[in-house]
Amino acid sequence: MLKTMSDPLSGFTSLSDRQLAELDRTCGWSLNALELAEVRRQFKKMGRQPSRGELETIAQTWSEHCKHKTFSGPVAFKSGGKVKKYKNLFKETIVKATRTLNRKWCLSVFTDNAGIVEFGKGGKWGLAFKAETHNHPCAVEPYGGAETGVGGVIRDILGVGLGAKPVLNTDNFCFGYLDSRKKLPRNSHSPERIMRGVVEGVRDYGNRIGIPTASGGIYFDDGYLLNPLVYVGCAGLIPVDKIEKKVVPGDLIVSIGGRTGRDGIHGATFSSANIEEDTSASAVQIGHAVNEKKTLDVLMRARDLGLYNAVTDCGAGGFSSAIGELGSETGARVRLEDALLKDTRIEPWEIWVSESQERMILSVPKAKLKKLEAILEAESCEYCVLGAFPGNGRLLVTHGEEKVADLPMAFLHGGVPNFEKPASRRKVRIFSATPVRPAKTYGGILKELLAHPNVCSRHSVITQYDHEVQGGTVIKPLQGKYGDGPGDATVIWPQAATLDLHDLSGFAVTHGFNPAAGKIDPYQMALQAVDEAVRNLLCVGAEISRTAILDNFCAASPRDPEVMGDLVLAAEGCHDAAMAYGAPFISGKDSFYNQAKDADGKEYPIPLSLLISATAPVEDIRKAITMNFKEAGNPLYLAGTSCRGLGGSVYADMMVAGNNYIAPLDMKAAVRLYTALLKAIKSGCVAAAHDVSQGGLAVTLSEMAFSGGFGAEIDLSSAAKEKDLSALELLFGESPSRLVLEVVKDREAEFLKFVEGLPVPEIGFVSEEPVLEAADGGERLFKEDIGGLKARWKRELI
Amino acid sequence: MIIEIWTKEKYAKNEEAAFLGRLAHAGLDVKAARLSRLYRVDAGFSEETFSRIASELLTDNITEHCSLKPGKAGLKNAYRVEVWLKDSVTDVVGESVKEAVADVAGELPEAVRFGHAYYVQCASELKLRQAVSKTLVNEVVNKFRIEKC
Amino acid sequence: MKPRAIILRGTATNCDIETFNSFKYVGAEPELVHINQLLSGEKKVLDYSLMAFPGGFSYGDDISAGKIYAVKMSRLSADFEAFIKSKRPVIGICNGFQILVKTGFLPENKGNAQVSTLYTNDCGHFLAKWVKLKINKKSPCLFTKGLPEAIELPIAHGEGKFIVEDKKTMADLVGRELHAMTYSDNPNGSMLDIAGITNAAGTCFGLMPHPERNFFAWQNPDRPAAAREAVAAGYQFFRNAVDYLG
Repeated sequence: MLKTMSDPLSGFTSLSDRQLAELDRTCGWSLNALELAEVRRQFKKMGRQPSRGELETIAQTWSEHCKHKTFSGPVAFKSGGKVKKYKNLFKETIVKATRTLNRKWCLSVFTDNAGIVEFGKGGKWGLAFKAETHNHPCAVEPYGGAETGVGGVIRDILGVGLGAKPVLNTDNFCFGYLDSRKKLPRNSHSPERIMRGVVEGVRDYGNRIGIPTASGGIYFDDGYLLNPLVYVGCAGLIPVDKIEKKVVPGDLIVSIGGRTGRDGIHGATFSSANIEEDTSASAVQIGHAVNEKKTLDVLMRARDLGLYNAVTDCGAGGFSSAIGELGSETGARVRLEDALLKDTRIEPWEIWVSESQERMILSVPKAKLKKLEAILEAESCEYCVLGAFPGNGRLLVTHGEEKVADLPMAFLHGGVPNFEKPASRRKVRIFSATPVRPAKTYGGILKELLAHPNVCSRHSVITQYDHEVQGGTVIKPLQGKYGDGPGDATVIWPQAATLDLHDLSGFAVTHGFNPAAGKIDPYQMALQAVDEAVRNLLCVGAEISRTAILDNFCAASPRDPEVMGDLVLAAEGCHDAAMAYGAPFISGKDSFYNQAKDADGKEYPIPLSLLISATAPVEDIRKAITMNFKEAGNPLYLAGTSCRGLGGSVYADMMVAGNNYIAPLDMKAAVRLYTALLKAIKSGCVAAAHDVSQGGLAVTLSEMAFSGGFGAEIDLSSAAKEKDLSALELLFGESPSRLVLEVVKDREAEFLKFVEGLPVPEIGFVSEEPVLEAADGGERLFKEDIGGLKARWKRELI
Repeated sequence: MIIEIWTKEKYAKNEEAAFLGRLAHAGLDVKAARLSRLYRVDAGFSEETFSRIASELLTDNITEHCSLKPGKAGLKNAYRVEVWLKDSVTDVVGESVKEAVADVAGELPEAVRFGHAYYVQCASELKLRQAVSKTLVNEVVNKFRIEKC
Repeated sequence: MKPRAIILRGTATNCDIETFNSFKYVGAEPELVHINQLLSGEKKVLDYSLMAFPGGFSYGDDISAGKIYAVKMSRLSADFEAFIKSKRPVIGICNGFQILVKTGFLPENKGNAQVSTLYTNDCGHFLAKWVKLKINKKSPCLFTKGLPEAIELPIAHGEGKFIVEDKKTMADLVGRELHAMTYSDNPNGSMLDIAGITNAAGTCFGLMPHPERNFFAWQNPDRPAAAREAVAAGYQFFRNAVDYLG
């Protein structure tokens, strides 16, 4: 016989709005007034008081982290006197593009833990890809925050379908400038300390679990001083016949991996509230990579033997979310006294919602439990059987005689109220006059740009990651003659998943990211981020017509209409770019409330930060190409038209440019150009390709030169360019859709046929002499020794 | 029982230099420092068993030596900073050492926690405390204490 | 008959699958075996003719790299000793080398005492990069036979600084040419630039660099324009082990 509800919050249904808000603060739920009122209404209707466990379950399930209520809610966007209404912003922009494109090779989109696309030949494999953020924990405890972030996204890949084998980790960070002079509030860490902790966390977790961390970026801007961003991603391979999962009534609920403890209370609700000084300690954990590795090894064996019908990860919300999600149709009967605990001093409801790391939930047929147990024991992996999925649609959670929660699943998963958010276009003054020519020489500016934190070498971070474990990182983040050239995209040959050294299929992964452009024009920023990602894939020779992308939005408080306005514009940009490039979004996530009070008590928000992660297949990994110059005498081509404007460029961050104009991106022209270039690359007549991005054309040429140990003689008078383009804009502007190609000299005629009628002029040739020399017709722009350029660029960031 | 593991002085230069660099970055001028690792093994083992665990399991006899009586660094006028993870935080190293102790001692200890000790020769305890909380510890997850030694 | 190769693993052995793939490619019949399966008696070391300790972070590399795995092996040390004594090939790569050093199987000595160590790199942290290596052509090591004098392999370790305390042990190691491989540009502070050592028979070999990561030419960071199809330096290590067994 069960007793009645444990610790019922007597009188809950008769609390006033103010009392509800107070209770919310005390318990740390981060539910808004509307949601609290809805909970009160529901329990009034049921004619009883809720238990603490039930309220916690609801708070977890409805929190921003789990539901993304901002992005998928209604919005009214005001721009130039007009109002555009969205019922569901996410569905009407990003998801819409995917649905319209309707690609056959998309095997699973937006439904599971990660998106899945076809991989390789023969239709045997799928590639699962997912990225998410772990920002707030990294601000509070950088090392543990980064570790658990990496661990979390790996579990997403382990929990997609019946489990994918992770073959690549990605990491993108945003920090304040390491030499920032801004005074920090008490209890916040210096950007240097945050960066060190985050890098060490990613390193120690990724290296220990044996997944190569081989693609990513680091971006500095003082907007991230109080709110660093840590994007972590993971890609894995899954057999196509293991993509479907379905809980069968009668299946057992089995938790494997880590134990449950108080260390994981209130992570989900934590990410919904702005960071306050007294953030509770228990919201931050240290990762346990070895436990997750055991879980991984068990899952891969058990999956191939068909020992379970469904799996998901314990992420935000812990058991309550994972079991709630798996049992959303069947219901779930959970006995918490059977959970393996780290420490017995824990309340039953805490076991239910604790977010302790490294746990996965399996739905296991009774007849297969013995076999599963044998594998778990062989791998020294702990586990517990928590109950069963009954099939009655009811969630019943008990601890011994105590009832912790007793709710219909429909209430949890259907009941979230939503309200319309106001959004408006941010006013930004645009200066489009010809930029001011500074007193410095172009060579001097180039050297400063190469040493800029957003341009300089990342080798001191990358070499701390085991980026080649599993033996499949064939195009590496560091490449070229000296193994230190900055690659555009990483190519993975997943031999450790396919077990087939004769199968030469691979995939490329890369990113597009430029929040500096977003401060001026969020719509163009989104287009450019997608363009940059596609162009990076092109640079290694990946099949760009099969590009699949992920969106990860980070923003300040969506209660600010201008923040919402930025978001609307960027989401529209995502839609338009996905359609133009034929690149569907397959998964995405968002993180809001990335703002905090600075030392003076003023709100300090981050700039809108949209990370586009992209992947595309590489048919034969032997043919993928790198970015360094290969041979003296090879001709160089600049593909794409250089446009006016220095808006969003590194140059504009470093110097007074007097120009913040961002030229609109011509996506149709870009697609035509890239399609032709891919044919040329695949034919083998291109020896090297590198995109023009951070720092502009002069930086691109420098990197290609010093990574290959060659110089080049360049004349830019032939470059395709907009009328009245200044030399400054040509050398250091970052207008999109451009790349530099080195063509094999005896195959130049063949190359020219591929690019006939396109803006791809020859601009010079690779030279034996280690000097990079650039002229514009008769005017010399700069002449620099590549050793000197490299010395500026190859800084130790950490 | 707390077991302290020391890197032999001739191999400790690199870790000491890195440590001094971090403190200097936090604005603390330190003349000399020694570092050690601490294992707190909660078990009712005999002194002899503890000693075997220390020398056979926890010490690399080529580069390290161990002590069952922590706190002796041989630095005069120094402060000793002892850093542990808070009890509420999972101690990953402690957990795996706990299993390994069982492999050596034949019996599982109740708990193992892993920590660090830093012996620092500097002028002001207050400044040391500030530097420690700026660089070495994060009070969200760590607990630490400073004592004169 | 294909030689049966035991690829030993444990918790957080990470390079087991690519090592398995490499041995399979050169014609061995590899099998992944967890140390728990040996401890329970389910599998026996002496049933195999070739042994590999792959890279990784066995048991988190807690205490020190390879230490906990070595402790687990100690109950079976008679079997391992017999395996090595019978001159069957044994290779320890990275974490595998650390394990062979912590068990005392390398450098070879009578009582299998730990006489050397692989300590924290001079830089103080994990380092993953490609390095240039010199092959000691005078070494009896069977794994490095036929390799050119200079090769490239990637390293990926935090504890790779090879230290021998005892001068006589070191003199003996060098005198008998047991240092089969040295760094051209020492990345971690190893004594005498040592990257890999063998036993006197040349059959038991431990090295910090990863031959399985330079098995094919396309795994090299410097990719010439023409697609190469050939196998690379790392292939030879595995080939040699299988050829040795005939």
